[in-house]
Amino acid sequence: MNKSLIYIARRLSFYLIAAFAALTLNFIIPRLMPGDPASIIFARFKGKLNPEAINAMRQSFGLTNDPILIQYWSYLKGIFRGDLGTSIAYFPEPVSEIIGSGLLWTIFLAGLSLVIAFSIGTTLGIFIAWNRTGKLDTFLPPTLAFFGALPYFWLAMVFLYVFGFSMNWFPIGRAFGNQVSPGLNFAFLFSVLYHAILPAFTLIFVSIGGWMLSMRNTMISTLGADYITFANAKGIPSKLIMLRYAARNAILPNLTGFGMALGFVLSGALLTEMIFSYPGQGFLLLQAVQSQDFPLMQGIFMTITFAVLGANWLVDIAILFFDPRTRK
Amino acid sequence: MKNFISVCSILALIIFCSCENETGRDKEGLIIYQENQISWVRNFEPLNPVSVCRWPTRGAIYEPLFIYNPIKTDWTPWLATDYKWQENNKRLIFTIRSGVKWSDGKPFSAHDVAYTFNLSKEFPALDTRNHWEYLKSVIAISDTEIEVNFKRIYVPGFESIAGTYIIPKHIWSNLKDPLKFNNPNPVGTGPFTEILRFNSQVWELGKNYNYWQPGKPHVEKLIFPTFSSNEQTTLALLSGNLDWAGAFIPAIDRIYVEKDPEHHHYWFRNTGHSTFLLTNTKDPVLSDVNVRKAISYAIDREQVVRVGMYDYTIPAHVTSLSGPMAKWHSPEIKNKENWTVFNLEKANNLLDNAGFEWNNKEERIKPGGSPLEFDIIVVSGWSDWVRSAQVITQNLKKVGIKAKVRTYDFGAWIARMQQGDFEMAIGWADKGATPYNFFKSMMFSGYVKPIGETADLNWHRFGLEEVDLLIKEFEQTSDEERIKNIISKLQHLFIENAPGIPLFSELSWAEYNSKYFTGFPNEQNPYGPLSPNEQPSFIFTLLNVKKR
Repeated sequence: MNKSLIYIARRLSFYLIAAFAALTLNFIIPRLMPGDPASIIFARFKGKLNPEAINAMRQSFGLTNDPILIQYWSYLKGIFRGDLGTSIAYFPEPVSEIIGSGLLWTIFLAGLSLVIAFSIGTTLGIFIAWNRTGKLDTFLPPTLAFFGALPYFWLAMVFLYVFGFSMNWFPIGRAFGNQVSPGLNFAFLFSVLYHAILPAFTLIFVSIGGWMLSMRNTMISTLGADYITFANAKGIPSKLIMLRYAARNAILPNLTGFGMALGFVLSGALLTEMIFSYPGQGFLLLQAVQSQDFPLMQGIFMTITFAVLGANWLVDIAILFFDPRTRK
Repeated sequence: MKNFISVCSILALIIFCSCENETGRDKEGLIIYQENQISWVRNFEPLNPVSVCRWPTRGAIYEPLFIYNPIKTDWTPWLATDYKWQENNKRLIFTIRSGVKWSDGKPFSAHDVAYTFNLSKEFPALDTRNHWEYLKSVIAISDTEIEVNFKRIYVPGFESIAGTYIIPKHIWSNLKDPLKFNNPNPVGTGPFTEILRFNSQVWELGKNYNYWQPGKPHVEKLIFPTFSSNEQTTLALLSGNLDWAGAFIPAIDRIYVEKDPEHHHYWFRNTGHSTFLLTNTKDPVLSDVNVRKAISYAIDREQVVRVGMYDYTIPAHVTSLSGPMAKWHSPEIKNKENWTVFNLEKANNLLDNAGFEWNNKEERIKPGGSPLEFDIIVVSGWSDWVRSAQVITQNLKKVGIKAKVRTYDFGAWIARMQQGDFEMAIGWADKGATPYNFFKSMMFSGYVKPIGETADLNWHRFGLEEVDLLIKEFEQTSDEERIKNIISKLQHLFIENAPGIPLFSELSWAEYNSKYFTGFPNEQNPYGPLSPNEQPSFIFTLLNVKKR
């Protein structure tokens, strides 16, 4: 047990160093982008605005010409105080509030779809690997791989057009209906679920194949191992062999992949959000980049960084549980 | 267990299906799309720099003194009823409308107007129109009159002064920091001022019952759902869940109008200005006016418009002014060279005379021997312009010029333009109520910056002393004959020097669905522009739209 604790602590210190490096990069990279926010916002008006307005904008945004080290210092100080600055694209809202508005929806839609796709995909992978001469194994992998290979943008548009617009089964956009008011009431919660079905389905539909295939392949090679043959010879019930002996080992690579994907959930599903007008991080990030909104960009990258690192740390702990070798 | 699951799923289906009616639209409210947003931020502050407040803030909640109607090309009296210049244009007097009330019932007066201007003097960050560069003082001389005194004579300042959105003194004077104010509950003089509901996905703006125009507006409320893409907008227009939009829709006749010709309408109005092929006049080759004219002659604008712009627009006039701006055309224009017509022979002659010979690979070469080639930079994703640029490269190939299209992200593109780090580009020019802004941005040497320094206007870096004098003269006169005369002279200089190459007329995208609301402006009834993107003249539409 002690060894496990040391392992966890070692991993944690590694992640802290990685986090610091990421924060520094997060500060540098947006500043390497060409252009400055005031000029870009001005130019977006395509000549309908006085050029002299730019100075007023620069003043308003509080853009400074301080030396880069001083800017870096105040950036670090701000992060520890939870103050991410003021957004430019949504001036004068604080960045933390803007991110807050998209974060929950992203976690809800992309997170839920990921968990569903991972669970279904992995379970399917286990079963078709176990019955690897069955009809499902000949039919499912190529079909799902085919759909997974289609451009997501196109597929989502087709779903939107067919099920949302033509058949009118599902709403064509947004996270909830125009008539409900957000809060803990049934009308709102149902509306949220109803609106999430179509975007979530497209996300699950394209990603399920990947989880299934990787699980199936590892599972098949695990099933060829000597200890499985031995377990069979000993007469252990086949369900037990499938789940406790084979799947438990075969799931490790998938679990690592899940950790990575979980972290990236926070970067938002940009295309889903665009097509279904669904609120979330992806569209915010796009707008931040387009309007050179450094504070917002940094805030979003920071949440993504922490999410990726945090998720990986959790996966490390989970692997500790699944794989006894890491405990030695 | 299995039964339980199937019962549950059937139940869920029933509930979802019963929810379907909930997405049905509210027929009392006009549903509008103008802003590309995925979740709404509650901000109704009209003074602070651009693109942060919600769309109706400037025009529907807060109103200016005069509103320019780009169709009728005149100034409609709004919160002011009249104006006059005094003391050789060093003083401007506005008569302020009486009987106007703020939406909270308090009376509106000239003191609010004076306060608005003086606030931006106190906080230069709010002076987005740069008024205090030429203003000395703004004083309310009575409840219905304000006096604007100029530091230096600057008549075009009228446009920006008359267009300033007036805010209530009794709200703003209580603020600690007007720079960080987001004005969540606006109090304005406009036709729509009451926030009925506001959440991240949809918000509603109700009618102002104190509005000063009797009987108006006709519509109870405006509804703003979020829309994140043109596809969403198009589907919403088609399904009747959107009444009024300012979106670009490709092949609109087939995609939109044909589905319901009775209710589905659009009006892509010619704004009178042009989209340009901008040429960097600091480039050693492009600095030659004959090369620029040759390039212009070589462009088949009909083809550009057909392939690049879905045939929505028309080839540009040689002055770049067309449509509503054509009233400024100089009477002598017919005698001037028209280099916006397609004429390969003339293009070739000009290039031959400029000393660019053909090599054996059907390309022209510079006197040094290197091929005559240019990059045309365009913003990536602006597909109509990218296609137009591709047509232009094919056109130029026919006269031996090798042109390549390069696309950049908007930020990178604008940085290159501003620093003069380009050869040719598709872009726009400045615009205003008179062609003054346009000609100033094209040829005023005060805007010219050396290559590498950021120029906010005149990216092609062309300046002419004669123009500077004319601009100066224009800024000091309010005499209409003289103004016309100066604009004519500027046109002649533009035609002689070809500082930029006009390609086609700029349009203003606008669609409406008249299933639930009528009274939108269109080509048959052009009382104002249709596009909600035209701020603040969209107000004419908002005041005239009625429930069917």
